[in-house]
Amino acid sequence: MPEPTPPEYQLPGAARTPQNGAVADTGMGGAMDLATAEGETLERPPDAGPPERDAEGDAEGAAGERARSLWSDAWRELRRNPVFIVAALVILFLVFISLWPGSITWMSPLKCELSKAQEGSQPGHPFGFDGQGCDVYTRVVYGARTSVTVGFLATLGVALLGSVLGGLAGFFGGAGDSVLSRITDIFFAIPVVLGGLVLLSVVTSNTVWPVIGFMVLLGWPQISRIARGSVITAKQHDYVQAARALGASHSRVLLRHITPNAVAPVIVVATIALGTYISLEATLSYLGVGLKPPTVSWGIDISAASPYIRNAPHALLWPSGALAVTVLAFIMLGDAVRDALDPKLR
Amino acid sequence: MLLEVRDLHVEFRTRDGIARAVNGVSYGVDAGETLAVLGESGSGKSVTAQAIMGILDMPPGRIASGEIVFRGTDLLKLKEEDRRKVRGAEMAMIFQDALSSLNPVISVGDQLGEMFVVHRGMSRKDARARAVELMDRVRIPAARERVRDYPHQFSGGMRQRIMIAMAMALEPALIIADEPTTALDVTVQAQVMDLLAELQREYHMGLILITHDLGVVADVADRIAVMYAGRIVESAPVHDIYKAPAHPYTRGLLDSIPRLDQKGQELYAIKGLPPNLMNIPPGCAFNPRCPAAQDVCRTDVPPLYEVTGAVAATGIAAAGIAGAAERRADRTSACHFWRECLHG
Amino acid sequence: MGRYVVRRLLQMIPVFIGATLLIFLMVNVMGDPVAGLCGDRQCDPATAAQLRKEFGLDKPVWQQYLTYLGNIFTGDFGTAFNGQPVTELMASAFPVTVRLTIVAILFEIVIGIVLGVVTGLRRGRPVDTGVLLLTLVVISVPTFVTGLLLQLLLGVEWGWIKPSVSTEATFGELIVPGLVLASVSLAYVTRLTRTSIAENKRSDYVRTAVAKGLPRRRVVTRHLLRNSLIPVVTFIGTDIGALMGGAIVTERIFNIHGVGYQLYQGILRQNTQTVVGFVTVLVLVFLVANLLVDLLYAVLDPRIRYA
Repeated sequence: MPEPTPPEYQLPGAARTPQNGAVADTGMGGAMDLATAEGETLERPPDAGPPERDAEGDAEGAAGERARSLWSDAWRELRRNPVFIVAALVILFLVFISLWPGSITWMSPLKCELSKAQEGSQPGHPFGFDGQGCDVYTRVVYGARTSVTVGFLATLGVALLGSVLGGLAGFFGGAGDSVLSRITDIFFAIPVVLGGLVLLSVVTSNTVWPVIGFMVLLGWPQISRIARGSVITAKQHDYVQAARALGASHSRVLLRHITPNAVAPVIVVATIALGTYISLEATLSYLGVGLKPPTVSWGIDISAASPYIRNAPHALLWPSGALAVTVLAFIMLGDAVRDALDPKLR
Repeated sequence: MLLEVRDLHVEFRTRDGIARAVNGVSYGVDAGETLAVLGESGSGKSVTAQAIMGILDMPPGRIASGEIVFRGTDLLKLKEEDRRKVRGAEMAMIFQDALSSLNPVISVGDQLGEMFVVHRGMSRKDARARAVELMDRVRIPAARERVRDYPHQFSGGMRQRIMIAMAMALEPALIIADEPTTALDVTVQAQVMDLLAELQREYHMGLILITHDLGVVADVADRIAVMYAGRIVESAPVHDIYKAPAHPYTRGLLDSIPRLDQKGQELYAIKGLPPNLMNIPPGCAFNPRCPAAQDVCRTDVPPLYEVTGAVAATGIAAAGIAGAAERRADRTSACHFWRECLHG
Repeated sequence: MGRYVVRRLLQMIPVFIGATLLIFLMVNVMGDPVAGLCGDRQCDPATAAQLRKEFGLDKPVWQQYLTYLGNIFTGDFGTAFNGQPVTELMASAFPVTVRLTIVAILFEIVIGIVLGVVTGLRRGRPVDTGVLLLTLVVISVPTFVTGLLLQLLLGVEWGWIKPSVSTEATFGELIVPGLVLASVSLAYVTRLTRTSIAENKRSDYVRTAVAKGLPRRRVVTRHLLRNSLIPVVTFIGTDIGALMGGAIVTERIFNIHGVGYQLYQGILRQNTQTVVGFVTVLVLVFLVANLLVDLLYAVLDPRIRYA
């Protein structure tokens, strides 16, 4: 066999084990690796589940029950976790100001007075002014909308595309699975920022869509691997085997039995990925290929403020802080959800 | 007495409260003697052993009170560095799962030789030669060639032999074997057990054999201590217990062994589950599962009764026991109704 | 082992072709490669057509790609916007980025592993919680923000370093940029090491080592570390490729004339040859690093055997 002999037991904490593919799924940057690793710990072989019974209804009940109790246990755990509460409140606040930025600001982010350029904090303008004389506070508030939009939509696209492709590949296996694995290898081999720089440098549109499109294009293999892995794991559960033995159709097995139990790792990875996409948008905007003015984005503002960093550091620090808090909130949320879903830690 | 554990209490701090894993255990082992400690998982038998070895995870574990007197010294009063020198050299431990208990990335020769390097200050080369000798001693074929191999390259029985060799390396006075054969195939179990018993006789070591397998116990043990919910419920010479247990729990254990002469009958099983160590029932911890429980069992913790009447009941010559009773209570039971149990 | 390497090398071919093709297509979509060749002036149509023919740009894209691939194997990476062969640019840029990557990797190894071991051994104590929080913050702050802030503080405010790196880019100058480049991976290495140490600390073989009466130092260095560092070493190995590709941001901030800088220039000037050439080499580095890591894995863990 030209396969590496499987280790008799998995090394604990292994970020990755040697594999068949040519490429490891690292290389997306530390935060993405973090997401992957956190997700993988949730893909574990079936524990001693409920005993196999002989009616399909029972098998189904077992699958549903397992998933249900996992989520309700997780929810109970989460409500007691201060990290989760803080992160969730921050995210709710961000969503709120993205939808109604006018509720805490009273100016337009595009109304700037050059005469006030680089001025510091003053009454009515708590964060001061940036290099163009725009109010930093207003721009930071409006920047949240862009970041949250890009983050949510990119994650949604990545999660849908990745989990559908990965899930189907994992479920059916065979040639399609091999082809998909090779394709994900190809995407992993391209450095993300570099790909963005090349692809987005041609785009002249100043909407958020090209950036979201790019993130979906380069992000889906990540989720696809996770989804594939967790579907393969879920497939081995006794109740799934039982349902198949009883002649349940493919779609029924996949939807009723596998999806509820395979979705946890995808959600965890997607949550953490959401934070990294927001960070990636800012990085691309900083490099001048992401979003373009007049779109208001933290990345653009940080980039614009960097030449004046000496005289007006506040114009750089406030959007940077907002960016960091946002990314942190999503990573911590993902972390907390993972901890809650991991029965081993309880 | 080589080792004497006196009134040991161990507890674990957990998120949901304090789990009292060991609640006043006392037992002793002489040189050349084999004590079998019997009990279900969670009865505190392994925790007691780990406390003796000094390898409890602290925290969350904590030795609340008690003494562990080994060769006249209370180990609990020693400094960690002195304690370390005792471990491995004067007392050693054999674990249940040899595959996970051996370091996967270090060759067995180095893992064996390490004992000599650390405790005896030998060179690596000499230590390796000793490792080969040890592997020969536990009858691992082609020891010289296999000394460089890694644990996963050996079979389960061979791995457990290596664990035994490691424990024997410095000829300790006491060996604690924690379920040494549980993870092995039945055919290999006997070989490994025989090897252990043989080595024990040869070096005149004290052996504490932790197990839940009564079959193994009957063959090799001199005495038995039965543990339940962190206490010793019955302690006796091995043949006495098999003839007539003086505690309902022991009786339940013995009755649940499948026997050929009772083929076709329903196998006996003790009802219920072991108690939650965070919330041990008042009175006798076994009372919710005991078929003969009375009101007093639910309120009063039974003391350790000395089982004396057993002599007549089991027909063993009274003279021998009289002599023994002067040293220590030869047979004890923590049941208010041990007499009824003994005769029932 | 030999067969495994061959099989892996064969597997790398489609990935290599796919990745370069992807980049090639992206760059072709990117714009008119000829436009950049006439410098900053607008090319007149006749010259443009002439150039197009000369570079084979009038042919279909797939044919261009094959020609390009063929040229690469003869060591011809084409010409950059300023008329220099791309290989010459590479010769000047790669050593700089390699130095930067080495500095970053050293930071990951030294700081990441030390912090990870310290926190893993003291799980739940204040030092652990503190470092854990710090790693989350470092992961959350995008590299370019970290870079700009360090540049502001160390370079401008306190004057400890020069805010931008000279063209020689010596190791000394690259310390701070290397730290910035490493920062996110560094935090990840810390977390990975911590998890690995904490898990292995509870393992049976560590308990055996303690029961053998080994001194604590020996238990940690000989038994615990060797096992715990296997995943960490493999992560750092695969990170090499990622760091070199991700250096573009750091190089921009500190004005380092490495791979990222050349790539950025290539993209600005819409020079296909430069961009595809550099990306091709980066992809190769990434693939080879991955292969080496898997082979290293087998060396570190005797349980893994490749047939």
